[in-house]
Amino acid sequence: MIGFTAREVVLGGRVVLRGIDFRADAGQLVALCGPNGAGKSTLLRGLAGLLAGSRAPDPRRVAYLPQGARCDWGMTAWEVAALGRIPHGDAAEPPVAHALELCGLGGLQGARVDRMSGGQARRAMLARVFATEPEVFLLDEPTSDLDPAAAHAVMALLRETAHAARRRVVVVVLHALDLALRYADRMVVLEGGQVVADAAPVDALARAAAAFGLPWGVDASPRLLPPSA
Amino acid sequence: MLLAPLAARAGDVVSMNLCTDDYLVLLAPERIAALSPLARDPSLSVVAAQARHLPWVRADGEAVMNLHPSLVLAAPYGAQTTVAVLEGLGVRIERIALAQDFAAIRKETRRLAALLGVPARGESLIAAMDQDLSGVRTGRKLRALALAPRGYAAGPGTLEDSVLRAAGLDDIGRGGRLGLEAILAARPQLLVVADAPGFPSLATDMLTHPILAAIPRRALPPALLACAGPWSAAAVAMLAR
Amino acid sequence: MRYRASWALAGSVSVLFVLSLLVGPAGFGVPSLPILTELRLPRALLALLVGGGLGLSGAVLQGALRNPLADPGLLGVSGCAALGAVLAFYWGLAAAFAPALPLAGLAGAGLGCLFLLAFAGRAMSGPALILAGVALSALAAALLALALTLAPNPFALAEITVWLMGGLADRSLLHVAMAAPPMLVGWVVLLRLGPRLDGLALGEEVAASLGVRVAGTLRVAALGVALAVGAGAAVAGGIGFVGLVVPHLLRPLLGERPGGLLVGALLGGAALLLGADLLARLAPLLFGLSQEPPLGVLTALLGAPFLVRIARRVAP
Repeated sequence: MIGFTAREVVLGGRVVLRGIDFRADAGQLVALCGPNGAGKSTLLRGLAGLLAGSRAPDPRRVAYLPQGARCDWGMTAWEVAALGRIPHGDAAEPPVAHALELCGLGGLQGARVDRMSGGQARRAMLARVFATEPEVFLLDEPTSDLDPAAAHAVMALLRETAHAARRRVVVVVLHALDLALRYADRMVVLEGGQVVADAAPVDALARAAAAFGLPWGVDASPRLLPPSA
Repeated sequence: MLLAPLAARAGDVVSMNLCTDDYLVLLAPERIAALSPLARDPSLSVVAAQARHLPWVRADGEAVMNLHPSLVLAAPYGAQTTVAVLEGLGVRIERIALAQDFAAIRKETRRLAALLGVPARGESLIAAMDQDLSGVRTGRKLRALALAPRGYAAGPGTLEDSVLRAAGLDDIGRGGRLGLEAILAARPQLLVVADAPGFPSLATDMLTHPILAAIPRRALPPALLACAGPWSAAAVAMLAR
Repeated sequence: MRYRASWALAGSVSVLFVLSLLVGPAGFGVPSLPILTELRLPRALLALLVGGGLGLSGAVLQGALRNPLADPGLLGVSGCAALGAVLAFYWGLAAAFAPALPLAGLAGAGLGCLFLLAFAGRAMSGPALILAGVALSALAAALLALALTLAPNPFALAEITVWLMGGLADRSLLHVAMAAPPMLVGWVVLLRLGPRLDGLALGEEVAASLGVRVAGTLRVAALGVALAVGAGAAVAGGIGFVGLVVPHLLRPLLGERPGGLLVGALLGGAALLLGADLLARLAPLLFGLSQEPPLGVLTALLGAPFLVRIARRVAP
């Protein structure tokens, strides 16, 4: 469905990825995890065809949400989401309306994103990706700036998107390991530019914890639970 | 005609202004110590051809003093700080009066000729001028407008006005800057302009606007009117022709 | 709302255009045919073309560079165009071959755009770009003054205000015929950029992922701006602030989507310059001035406070 292979990726004189041969197939929600500077975002940009030398995929098929994407103008949520139709060269309204609904902005279509809360603005950016109706979703930290309930809602949506009809694949960079554990089908752990684990989240957790230098285990202290399905 | 002996020291008169350059070359070339730099510009000076072979000096007190002049000719404006310095150093300064009509030109020519000790040459310049002025036929008075670049119209009390009236024209200019629409509104039958300069400017470009093409025009060499003098009568003769 | 605003803009352009034909030094009224066709028509047409081009260029530059201060005047593009035109005009090139004037304006504007692109390619940040533009416009103004000082015609230096501030008085249909074709081509080039400018609203990476070729878009924008501004500045001088002000005036009416502003900015720029030129012609009648104020003075009087307002909002 989508893949990126590279012996080495050098940015600014530094090797940021090494020996990468990544593939993801339809029907999966894949989480890319690892400490800061491990190369997660670079791998995602490689998949999106944004690295020098990598071939740009069909923008109607592959949609990309960078980290910290923001809008420079006071555009409305509708206008931002409608940008997702640029690859199709149409102004079809149903996909835009549907995308805003999915991302919980159905009632805020006319609101300006520069006057929204950080979480709402982030969801407008996500709605732009959904409006493209792509097969491949490449999302860098889609839950940043979101409150816990919204983060769970977005992750559930992404999982559902990947699983529905097994036609789509979602690759997300995630710092929140608990979200990755709960929602991802597959966890790819990067450390120092290399893939050090690639397995079901439960199986990859130990390696991820080691990459962060943290212990892991099972505890029963009180905490927030995801909304019941 | 008495000429100074060849071995005599160089001339003792410095002219620091275009208008005194014209007079000095025509009245007493043998007494020239230096002219102003503009004397060589054919678009401004009526003696440009002669001046090419004559010395010139910048408006600079020290440069002028080095020539040891016994007389410096200047105008009421321009280079006034240099003139004041020279005056302070004891050099004799003579300022010409800027004439606006032919009576004043006659008077000023006589005064300068006397000052330079050549009254006979002054009279012959005046005689040539009067000959130009007397050749004018007086017929139907055309409404004429003298236009300077940028659309500045000459008006009463200017040399251009005197020239137009001497040429038997009705000068309808009232001074001030006119746009093209205002020029048309004045309904001139003749435009009097300066010869187009070698290189363009927006100021002169305006006078070539196609809407003015329908009005007859006469172009005069600009040097004839740059300074008032007996030579200005040549402009009258050209207009009256 | 958006359609109503666009129609209102188109309507005001038409009304101002007709008023332009009816106002002259003698006051209000229908003039004789030659005055109408050979003096007032070229003037009104040039105000429309130059103003439209400046407004459109401002909207495109602000969108493409994602900078609310981008403007052909502020970035020095107009100054470079005027410099090119001055070199062609005062040294007799345009007298020998009339189209040399707009072509030299185009060349100047094109070189200015190239400089900005080369600079913007390396440092896209807003302040750096504006600084490069300020440097470019100061350099263009200095070289313009030098060129006019050295020009063979004695009146040249006195005309510096026309080139720096702009003006439309006493232009002919020949000026329109020379400047209009490249300007109209520039309009078409710029108006077609809408979707690509929208794509850039979320940054260059998103634009690239949407299939928008970023470097290509900047190059096309530069070409279009050079065409729309260069030929205009060659016959009307460097009129400032129109490109800066118009998009800001229109965003509250038309929304802030960059591609949605283009037609409005074209109409708004045309209306603004027609209005300013009308005011310049009315000033002698209304206030008893002896001369028309230079057109660029009026646009600067309007634009400078705007610049301060934007700067205060942009700065933290």
